[in-house]
Amino acid sequence: MDNLEKKKISRKTLNKSFHYWFYGHLTAFSQEHMQTFGYLTSMLPIVEELYDNKADQEKAMKTYTAFFNTEPQLGTVIVGVTASLEEARANHGNVDDTTINGLRAGLMGPIAGIGDSLVVGTLIPVILGIALGMSDGGSPLGAIFYIIVWNLLGYFGMRFAYFKGYELGDKAVGILVGAQGKAIRKAIATVGGMVVGGVAATWVTVNTSFTLKNSSGKAYLVLQDKLNSVYPGLLTALFVVLCWWLMAKKNISPIKVMLILVVIALAGVLVGFFNPGLSY
Amino acid sequence: MTISWVQASILGIFASLSSMPGMAGSTIGNYTLGRPLVGGLVCGLVLGDLKTGIAAGVAMQLVYIALVTPGGTVSADLRAVSYIGIPLAMVAIHAQGLAATSGNAADLAKSMGTLVGTVGTVLFYGTATMNLVWQHIGWRAVEKGQFKKLYVVDWGLPWISHFFFSFIPTLLMTHFGSSAVTALKTALPMDGIPMKTLFTVGALLPCVGIAILLKQIVDSPVDFIPFFVGFTFAASLKLNLVSVTVVSLIFAMISYKLDMAISTNKQAAAVGVTADVVDDDEEDEDI
Repeated sequence: MDNLEKKKISRKTLNKSFHYWFYGHLTAFSQEHMQTFGYLTSMLPIVEELYDNKADQEKAMKTYTAFFNTEPQLGTVIVGVTASLEEARANHGNVDDTTINGLRAGLMGPIAGIGDSLVVGTLIPVILGIALGMSDGGSPLGAIFYIIVWNLLGYFGMRFAYFKGYELGDKAVGILVGAQGKAIRKAIATVGGMVVGGVAATWVTVNTSFTLKNSSGKAYLVLQDKLNSVYPGLLTALFVVLCWWLMAKKNISPIKVMLILVVIALAGVLVGFFNPGLSY
Repeated sequence: MTISWVQASILGIFASLSSMPGMAGSTIGNYTLGRPLVGGLVCGLVLGDLKTGIAAGVAMQLVYIALVTPGGTVSADLRAVSYIGIPLAMVAIHAQGLAATSGNAADLAKSMGTLVGTVGTVLFYGTATMNLVWQHIGWRAVEKGQFKKLYVVDWGLPWISHFFFSFIPTLLMTHFGSSAVTALKTALPMDGIPMKTLFTVGALLPCVGIAILLKQIVDSPVDFIPFFVGFTFAASLKLNLVSVTVVSLIFAMISYKLDMAISTNKQAAAVGVTADVVDDDEEDEDI
């Protein structure tokens, strides 16, 4: 075996594998096996190219029947890493099922953490934030801007992650979950936190209509103005912190938090704290 | 404004494409077509009122700007928000005679959309449960070594789940919901308590979306500091989002360099002998 020519996955097959992941990572989602089938389909072209006989193919495919779920965009890097490991296994065989699945299981948690705060927490809100400004007043421009920018970044970002993972192989693990990975994660959380603060201040407005009037009907206390002179957007910030506290510290589900807000809104309307000032 | 069977069917197809396990893949499906802003564009085109569609989409996008689905647990599935909620909100805005771009129209859209959007959670679990059947077929194929069947399992069969849990619900709810929404107008006057509450809820709901995201990055009160710094930049200093992002990069850089310095320091300390020298280095960097 050692004398045979070294097996190498062709560029065409890697492309195929990437596109199968890009499209199909979540299509056959269930609570039991979330991204497992997406993973199987994206590994199949690689396994078919590396192993000629059916028995070897079956043995290789068995590896990827283990549960898999992570943040799909950044998680592409893991598929790239396993492509490289599968190639190594086909060549000299000192990589086995346990190596590959240990690595997959070890990576999917940390990658989900970085991916959620980087992709869903920062990148998408920032592009959406810019797009929302462009669509203010009913213009389709912002929506079109979002479609183009997000899809270009999403496609080429995932492509980059796949081929970087393939190139680095198991060396990627140290970078992603080591001390450097942790430092990157904290840095990203800082950007995420600040951007989300900006999103809240820019796009969320909670105002009170509470006023106190003297006998001649002139308002001598407009609560909203007073609050804004203390800290602009105070009421908005307080409601965000309240929702966070209910969900993070009291373990209340988002749906229930929404119901609590309905109760608060009703009570607020009844006592005159909230009034959207409606008219036909 | 009414929604015809043809229009409702088109919305149903988009709902099938766009959810979290949607048939267009998560990049094009969930994160593009599923975003209410894009949904507003699509609904506006389908229903022939682009302006109201976009305005409703913008309003609804704020509620879900930071929707994360950690580990496949969803609080709301956007197919219902974007392709049932937005069309019905558009009908409601027309029925109430509100100007498309007014604040009241936006608040109405948020409340309507979120109300209907909760249906999405049911649709999500329905789809995921039905997919178990296709996965079962997939496992049998893997056992027998018929690997080509995996493509049908991953790309083809889930369409059946979406027919039942995306297409049909969207078709029925948008077609029949539109007359129900119009009837609401006469039942609930604008200055009554229910409508005032609905509008107020619409203004409060985006806080939930923001808080879901904060949950990912805030564990202790100290972690709130970046959030409030960003909030202050935007609310008090009136910086826009791109500017806030740029400023945040310098803090990210400092945090990264500091953490890396500390970890090299620790490694050196573990080695032992050179610890003192590295300590001095780190102090230099602090200054």
